[in-house]
Amino acid sequence: MADSLTLSPPKKLDAGSVKIADVSKTFRVEGRTVHALDSVSLSIEAGEFISIVGPSGCGKSTLLRFLAGLDGPDSGRIIVDGEAIDRPSLRRGIVFQDHRLLPWFSVEKNIGLSLHSVSGSEVEKRERVQYLIDLVGLTGFEKALPHELSGGMSQRAAIARGLAPRPPLLLLDEPLGALDSLTRSHLQDELLAIWEREKCTVVMVTHDVEEAIYLSDRVVVMEPRPGRISQIFNIRNARPRYRDDPEFVTTRREITELLGSQKKKNH
Amino acid sequence: MTASSNRVSQAGLIWRALVLPAALIIIWAVLDAFSLLNSNILVSPTKVLVTAYQGFADGSIPGATAATLLRALTGWTIGASVGLVVGVLIGLSGIARGLFDPSISSLRQIALFAWIPLFSAWFGNGEIMKVTLISLGAFFPMALGAQAGCQNVPAPFREVGRALELSRFATLTKIILPAAVPAILTGLELSLNIAWLGTFGAEYLIGTGYINGMGDGLGAYLAAAREYARMDQVLLGVLFLALIGVALDRLVIGLSRRLIPWRTA
Ligand SMILES: Nc1ncnc2c1ncn2[C@@H]1O[C@H](COP(=O)(O)OP(=O)(O)OP(=O)(O)O)[C@@H](O)[C@H]1O
Ligand SMILES: [Mg+2]
Repeated sequence: MADSLTLSPPKKLDAGSVKIADVSKTFRVEGRTVHALDSVSLSIEAGEFISIVGPSGCGKSTLLRFLAGLDGPDSGRIIVDGEAIDRPSLRRGIVFQDHRLLPWFSVEKNIGLSLHSVSGSEVEKRERVQYLIDLVGLTGFEKALPHELSGGMSQRAAIARGLAPRPPLLLLDEPLGALDSLTRSHLQDELLAIWEREKCTVVMVTHDVEEAIYLSDRVVVMEPRPGRISQIFNIRNARPRYRDDPEFVTTRREITELLGSQKKKNH
Repeated sequence: MTASSNRVSQAGLIWRALVLPAALIIIWAVLDAFSLLNSNILVSPTKVLVTAYQGFADGSIPGATAATLLRALTGWTIGASVGLVVGVLIGLSGIARGLFDPSISSLRQIALFAWIPLFSAWFGNGEIMKVTLISLGAFFPMALGAQAGCQNVPAPFREVGRALELSRFATLTKIILPAAVPAILTGLELSLNIAWLGTFGAEYLIGTGYINGMGDGLGAYLAAAREYARMDQVLLGVLFLALIGVALDRLVIGLSRRLIPWRTA
């Protein structure tokens, strides 16, 4: 049974369009300059499912943090729904790479915290939290503290927390990285179902090329030093997709080869 | 499995901690048995036991202990409460930090008992003076602990608060204060320790003997014992101070472990 907060229609259709224009960012790390992002541009339509793949350190998390509004670029602009981002917002939900559950709160309270600043009655919020706990398969662990969870369970609780306020733009940083393959493919399907139901925009970072192709409308491949987009793959196959479909396999090989050639070039 | 093996090692630890005191008592008893003790320096263990029995029978030991405990806990409660509020304020607000931090850091450098001349001029040598002194001692570690805790909340947790659009108040109650709890509890433990030591000092040094007649508490008990060269009472008093000090310490540490299960896991 879904609850009223879950069933009410998405607040605003067509929300969650993103325009990243010429974004650059450098960090100073131990006296060296790291070009985390170098004139990255990307337009994302409302309702699109985008995956970002690329080797470690190519700026994926940095880009996601900019979209969330936790950090800003040195130059360039990021526009979401026509407005420049200047701070975090519940309309842009982020699931961090390191789950970041608060150690002093139970699973339930951690998820509930993301509804703290959302309107709605306590009862509605509790139902929404329970619905999400069931959805990510943590039933029975409502009262557990994060240190009592496995890595994968923590990750799932973090996903539930990210989903709870129903953000029109959902930012996921390797959300399924710590999961076993069975839970992983189950949650991939759940993610697709949520995306189709909520009509939200999803930007997901992943290391798993197959996962990216399985889920996304477009797969953005990035490369490091300096962090930039090397190629964007349109995935046109109708959903549900099959991983042994010839077109699927071809795309996977192309992306894998591209990532492999980057590796050679950078070594 | 792990729980029981933990318990075994806990009991083992307790036994190990008792080895040294037991050895000292045995040496003490042996020296006494061979009449090697100079009673001006050290009396026999049995004499201390007899004095303890008498002290309990006439109520002087429980009375002194109760007075000291009450005084220490009063001073601790006041000092730690004020310290918590001030520490949190300084930890949260740059303005408060600029206003208070330099003064507090400077005042902290003054040894607690160096305040005695000043305080006795202001408050006399009675209860108010003693409790003020103890509170002051308890204040600093608590303020410092609370400040450190609020200032050092890990950035990832703060970001969660920002991402979830928590209000300032919700950020304080749901993120900053819980994150600061371990540091606050450490401050609480330290401030109790200082309050306990300070209470003895206050009782021993202030308002005992010649000037204002006898005060009460274990400190006054010891001061009197020394005055009348009662080595048995001196030993008994010291023993009690140590025992109760350790008990208080363990109690607070045990309670704080329970409050932060995610820390001890
Ligand atoms: N706060 C920071 N301070 C200094 N350097 C940073 C910071 N954040 C990121 N970097 C640097 O920017 C580069 C990109 O980091 P980022 O975390 O975006 O990589 P990533 O693509 O997410 O990698 P991974 O796949 O390992 O998560 C790295 O070289 C990193 O060292
Ligand atoms: Mg990353």
